[in-house]
Amino acid sequence: MATPPGADDDDYNEVPLQHKRPFGSGLHRKAIAFVPATGDTKSLTAVPAAEAKRPQQSVSDLYRSMVLPHDNIKTHSSLGAPDERIMCEICKLPLDSLAAEHPTARRHETSLAHQLCLPHSHPPSAIDRSRMGLSYLSAHGWDPDARKGLGAAQQGIQFPVKTKPKDDKLGIGLQLPKNLPAPKPKAKLLDAGKVRKLVKEEKRKAERIRQQLYGGKDLEKYLGLGAVR
Amino acid sequence: MSDSPDHTKGVKRSSSMEDDGNGTKDSKRVKTNGKAKMDNYNPYLAHQYEDSQNDFQSPLDALERHKTTVKQASKAEDSDLNPWTNQPHSQQYFKILQTRRDLPVQKQRQEFLDMYHSSQILVFVGETGSGKTTQIPQYVLYDELPHKTGKLIACTQPRRVAAMSVAQRVANELDVELGEEVGYSIRFENKTGPKTLLKYMTDGQLLREAMHDHEMSRYSCIILDEAHERTLATDILMALLKQIADRRKDLKIIVMSATLDAQKFQTYFFGAPLLAVPGRTHPVEIFYTPEPERDYVEASVRTVLQIHATEPEGDILLFLTGEEEIEDACRRINLEVDDMIRESDAGPMKVYPLYGTLPPAQQQRIFDKAPEPLRKGGRPGRKCIVATNIAETSLTIDGIVYVVDPGFSKQKIYNPRSRVESLLVSPISKASAQQRAGRAGRTRPGKCFRLYTEKAFKKELIEQTYPEILRSNLANTVLELKKLGVEDLVHFDLMDPPAPETMMRALEELNYLACLDDDGELTRLGSLASEFPLDPALAVMLISSPEFYCSNEMLSITSLLSVPQIFVRPNNARKRADEMKQQFAHPDGDHLTLLNAYHAFKGAEQSGQDAKQWCHEHFLSFRHLSSADNVRAQLRRIMETHDIELVSTPFQDKNYYTNIRRALLAGFFMQVAMRESSNSKVYKTVKDDQLVMIHPSTVVSSPYDWVVYNEFVLTTKQYVRTVTNIRPEWLLEIAPVYYDVDTFEKGEIKSALTRVTEKVKRRQTLKGNSGR
Repeated sequence: MATPPGADDDDYNEVPLQHKRPFGSGLHRKAIAFVPATGDTKSLTAVPAAEAKRPQQSVSDLYRSMVLPHDNIKTHSSLGAPDERIMCEICKLPLDSLAAEHPTARRHETSLAHQLCLPHSHPPSAIDRSRMGLSYLSAHGWDPDARKGLGAAQQGIQFPVKTKPKDDKLGIGLQLPKNLPAPKPKAKLLDAGKVRKLVKEEKRKAERIRQQLYGGKDLEKYLGLGAVR
Repeated sequence: MSDSPDHTKGVKRSSSMEDDGNGTKDSKRVKTNGKAKMDNYNPYLAHQYEDSQNDFQSPLDALERHKTTVKQASKAEDSDLNPWTNQPHSQQYFKILQTRRDLPVQKQRQEFLDMYHSSQILVFVGETGSGKTTQIPQYVLYDELPHKTGKLIACTQPRRVAAMSVAQRVANELDVELGEEVGYSIRFENKTGPKTLLKYMTDGQLLREAMHDHEMSRYSCIILDEAHERTLATDILMALLKQIADRRKDLKIIVMSATLDAQKFQTYFFGAPLLAVPGRTHPVEIFYTPEPERDYVEASVRTVLQIHATEPEGDILLFLTGEEEIEDACRRINLEVDDMIRESDAGPMKVYPLYGTLPPAQQQRIFDKAPEPLRKGGRPGRKCIVATNIAETSLTIDGIVYVVDPGFSKQKIYNPRSRVESLLVSPISKASAQQRAGRAGRTRPGKCFRLYTEKAFKKELIEQTYPEILRSNLANTVLELKKLGVEDLVHFDLMDPPAPETMMRALEELNYLACLDDDGELTRLGSLASEFPLDPALAVMLISSPEFYCSNEMLSITSLLSVPQIFVRPNNARKRADEMKQQFAHPDGDHLTLLNAYHAFKGAEQSGQDAKQWCHEHFLSFRHLSSADNVRAQLRRIMETHDIELVSTPFQDKNYYTNIRRALLAGFFMQVAMRESSNSKVYKTVKDDQLVMIHPSTVVSSPYDWVVYNEFVLTTKQYVRTVTNIRPEWLLEIAPVYYDVDTFEKGEIKSALTRVTEKVKRRQTLKGNSGR
């Protein structure tokens, strides 16, 4: 392509990991100051943001209600009746208007509960779109990105069956420990040529080590050139 | 005799009831006559009218189609006259009838008939040994009365051998000649006649028939046997029949399975009723190992010896994965048993291997009786069969009491990304393990020794073996489906639809072969290719061979590639076998060597030599060469009916072999490999980029840069087998679409092809200049 080499590196963040902002923190900075709708509408979408503490509290309430005797619950659910609260559409947890008073507090959208409830979008399939087979299948109503198989109800498997080749005789269910001692190398039969080669190789290695140890410049200067060789 | 409308409808059949010497001649005449409207009298059926005048009663006359009862059928069966041939029953017949009446299915015959009458589709579950394969089609025969309707009953089998042997058995049971009333039809062999009422066939064969008869109108009842094996063809047939059942309400369908997961079939067939018949099985005690085994072959050998030393009388069945492993285990067991006899006075033990490529005579040996004790009063002898998973379902060996199951089998797996179909050793499924265990309880209570832990059984084994359709290359299937008129492959209602990628690959392969156009529609070439019972690549190669003036030769090569390896290489004479093979060797490749061997074989046959002896001397398989000969005749007939010219280049012509090599590429241009570098033995396959070596069985000694190969073999290394040297220029010329250099990924192959393109261009311009 026309882009210079390295241009696509922009996709990768050069910011070191420890300085990376947590996911969703962009919402903080670019918050749009919404104005509540006039009138008494309890429209849910009109509420810009909410505090994250509330849902957390109510989750803890739920836990308490399961664990502790019943009279303890009310002491903690500090807010009024549930119908007064505004619920988030996505995560079905109550929002709180107090958020406006705590601009530094985490907004509801950034809370873990909310993020988890967001519909997840999958990356598109990696299939080469120019393939003839794909054009046939999509002409008959198969969508490569829909994560569906073939069949009357598109219930088929999505990916081909995989197996790995087995080239040992290990029985089923045997897991070899990872740090197994390496099998002993078999004794090799050597002829004269091979021995000669081995000796040569060994000599070369020894020479290199000696060079590394004694071949330093200052050492040479100190001992004289002939000392090392 | 029944009323005359029945006569008119079933002219062809009712005449067939009279079996005399000139049966074929007779029926031929009737066949032409049957189409003509018949009023009252047909001179060819004179004998039958006479019969009716004499108040002759056929045992079948009392029966009314789809309203029969067991009583009526039994009465017909018991009569002295064979209702199908009108000949007296033989003594043998009544003997067999006795044993048939003892089979477990017989007890539920009425129940079966009631269900059969009330439902169009029926799922029948009967374990092996219940007699379903032989009996159910006969029950249907006595109910459908096909001689009256003129419509046949088909029973499919996944394997050729089963189709043949069951047909033979049923012909004996009905006291008729095989090929007459009862016949079989398998690829390259059709043993049926105009009188045939009940036809056993391979599932693939029924599929081929359906290509020309989309409604399967020849049949009134179709029985799919061994549906639990879920072969490719059975799966396709089920989907097709599901469609046809909707259009043809008079077609009855029975799906027979040996395992109890039949609910899956039931829900698939709109909740069809299910009838289960218990098999004749005894309880099997199952044992697991406390710890996983380090070496399952070693462990299985030890287990067999342990059984021999400690367990009472009874034969042993050991499941291993392949020929090599089985032969190795047999050798080891034999050695150890000899020691045991010498040291601890153990009984004798015969060890028999059993695998698909074993010659039939040796396969037959597994039915031998266990050896006698060495001396009177000594320990009893036993036999031990070491088998692949063909002994799991397809073969029934009586006398097996002990089963040793290491938990592995070889399975075909197709990878659509690398386009490699390979046989890999993989763990079996739970269903398959149960099937294996069941083999121990055929004659009396048995034991099954599993060489893995119970935990591994529960956690590591999958529930069901993947059906073949998920593990195969679908090129052939897609071509068949297209020919069967299936337009929408996406929503085709298969029980287990294959992965989209596998389907895409198949479509693309067919597209490159010009069998499908860019929209996925069948082309004329594709339609023609589907007429051949061959892989699309082979079919296309054969169809385009007249363009290369060598269709006779390609016909021979295709036949030789469709049968098992014709070169024999016994372990004790490897060197001599290789020397003999060298006699036929052609320096340019294995395909040509095959052809040379075939020509030599035909030459020997024609010169009046004993072909069998000649083959033995030259280390060739007479059996496979003759079946290649048979295949060749069949294919030749298909070529002639479609007006494909049979031509040859004169042998003296220097292009004789070149033409053949080029013709190979017309079908196999997608199976080409290029050598990695000038002094390496490693090749890289074109487009799929798999690193391969040439299989050591090749005759090619000088390493060529470009080769076309017939198959990809994945063992410990990746090999290509049956290779022939080609020139890259041919690729550009013969398959310009596939070898469009622009579509290649960067690499050595691309640059090599670019160089070739330039060279060709230069040569052409040079020619053009000199021409001017």
